[in-house]
Amino acid sequence: MLILGIETATTQVGCAIGGHEGVLASVHAAKGRRHAEYLVPSIEFACERARVELSEIGVVAVDVGPGLFTGLRVGVATAKSLAFALRVPMIGVSSLDLLAFRVRFSGRLIVTTVDARRGELYYACYRQVPGGVQRITDHLIGTPDDLASELLASGEEVLLVGEGAQRYPEAFDGLAKVELVDTGDSYPSAEALVELAHASALREQFERPDVIEPIYLRRPDAEINWAIRDGR
Amino acid sequence: MNEHLTGAAPVDAPVVDESTIVLGVETSCDETAVACVRGGRDVLSSVVSSQVDLHARYGGVVPEIASRAHNELIIPVMARALLEAGLDGEDVDAVAATTGPGLIGALLVGVSAAKALALAWDVPFVAVNHLEAHLYAGFLEDPDLQFPMVVLLVSGGHTLLVHVEDHGRYRLLGQTLDDAAGEAFDKVARFLGLGYPGGPAIDSIAMSGDPEAIAFPRSMLGDGLDFSFSGLKTAVVNHVRANPQVATEDVAASFQQAVVDVLVAKARRAAEATGAAALALGGGVAANSLLREQFLGACAEDGLHAFLPSREMCTDNAAMIASTGWYRLRRDGATPLDCGADPNERLATT
Ligand SMILES: [Zn+2]
Repeated sequence: MLILGIETATTQVGCAIGGHEGVLASVHAAKGRRHAEYLVPSIEFACERARVELSEIGVVAVDVGPGLFTGLRVGVATAKSLAFALRVPMIGVSSLDLLAFRVRFSGRLIVTTVDARRGELYYACYRQVPGGVQRITDHLIGTPDDLASELLASGEEVLLVGEGAQRYPEAFDGLAKVELVDTGDSYPSAEALVELAHASALREQFERPDVIEPIYLRRPDAEINWAIRDGR
Repeated sequence: MNEHLTGAAPVDAPVVDESTIVLGVETSCDETAVACVRGGRDVLSSVVSSQVDLHARYGGVVPEIASRAHNELIIPVMARALLEAGLDGEDVDAVAATTGPGLIGALLVGVSAAKALALAWDVPFVAVNHLEAHLYAGFLEDPDLQFPMVVLLVSGGHTLLVHVEDHGRYRLLGQTLDDAAGEAFDKVARFLGLGYPGGPAIDSIAMSGDPEAIAFPRSMLGDGLDFSFSGLKTAVVNHVRANPQVATEDVAASFQQAVVDVLVAKARRAAEATGAAALALGGGVAANSLLREQFLGACAEDGLHAFLPSREMCTDNAAMIASTGWYRLRRDGATPLDCGADPNERLATT
């Protein structure tokens, strides 16, 4: 079963095609947040490189965030419209899970991060289990300093991953047991998306296109302001 | 303006005729809409899901809330538009979407969805300007509508007088220098505590008021074909502050009369100046009952062919996008799939 993976949760745009033989082709571009402009041509290009017709795709997988709201909506709207038009099922995977997948061979506590803007990070914690890693927290949002205090309090050896934390190295400088990975693997990748989705596809964990939505973790400002004014 | 609208070479030259079915997608503001139109005129389905209730408590459209709602509604609305038209994806010959002007996050949901459909069905994608689509809305209901004509386009975001010389040939005659007419209705309704959206609220309460009770200014009535509504809004606020006992009905009726007087007078003058034989109304404010009545009266007096779209065709919908997409595809060919959205996209004028 061929899977098309679409990833737009950060400033990077990516897509990949693969299946049981692994990833056949992938395209990534990270320039200027032009998700809507790059994504569909990237999919066409990946299909060409993989020598696959779009009609051969059996599953559309998408990174559902957390991440950049507009980027996520471009990715999710594109992915679900493709799945709808091709009449195939979908698989949604979190951006933080994708980051953890790349460092799944570490025995340390894995903490993955995505930039949430406004001085905050989206993050989640993972532990190694047989065959991969397992998320042991919800998707969370907080400042780099909040996260640093949590990590210090845990007293554990930590592998800290992702462009979110990389943006605030000073927050994690003084933590002896925390290694901030600052090379490669800092963006969620479309290849990891295809690999993770393949595992879900084998277990037939599919979703319908009309129910796949981004993980926002933050309410719209207007709603928050309204709630404050209204005392809710 | 996007390059693709200035006549980039067609991707390929699809055959566009009376049997060509275009699926249109519109998400520029707070309506999620998808429609299927055959041959540019025959509306097979037109589904509009309004988010007005989601934004009402904020007194205006909240961009982030609108974008989230579009993303949730786009697939169900798309599915219903195909179902109501009795079509399968294979029957669709091209996909059109609004690329601007509008709210950028909202536009991108529709553009992304439309490009994905075009890719999956292997049919051309066509970028459509929202303002141009409003100009085309008239053709969907009045096959006798002929060029050249003058269109008064009045909505929450726009107030334009356009001379439509031919398909794709538009001359901008006048526009608002500050607030759009619909925006003035929203702001005044909000100030008067009449709720959101302001147009229908003022329209209905004004029925029981005296339009001559207060002599609000007719802004820029004497000067050219441009509009200005922010002074009128200020005049309403000042009058109510100075006369707290004034009846809200009278304020609403007098305000509405002042707006309509200016709109109708300038539309007439534009028709006279261009020698156009027809005058058309478009945009959400065209649903206002006083505007409709006085517009028809003016056209009758001046011997102009009047065109008043139905309420469904005045407000944002995707049938007008699909229709414009058909004409645009026939004239300019497909739009490349690397196109994005432009929140400030202008109407291409001559
Ligand atoms: Zn409109």
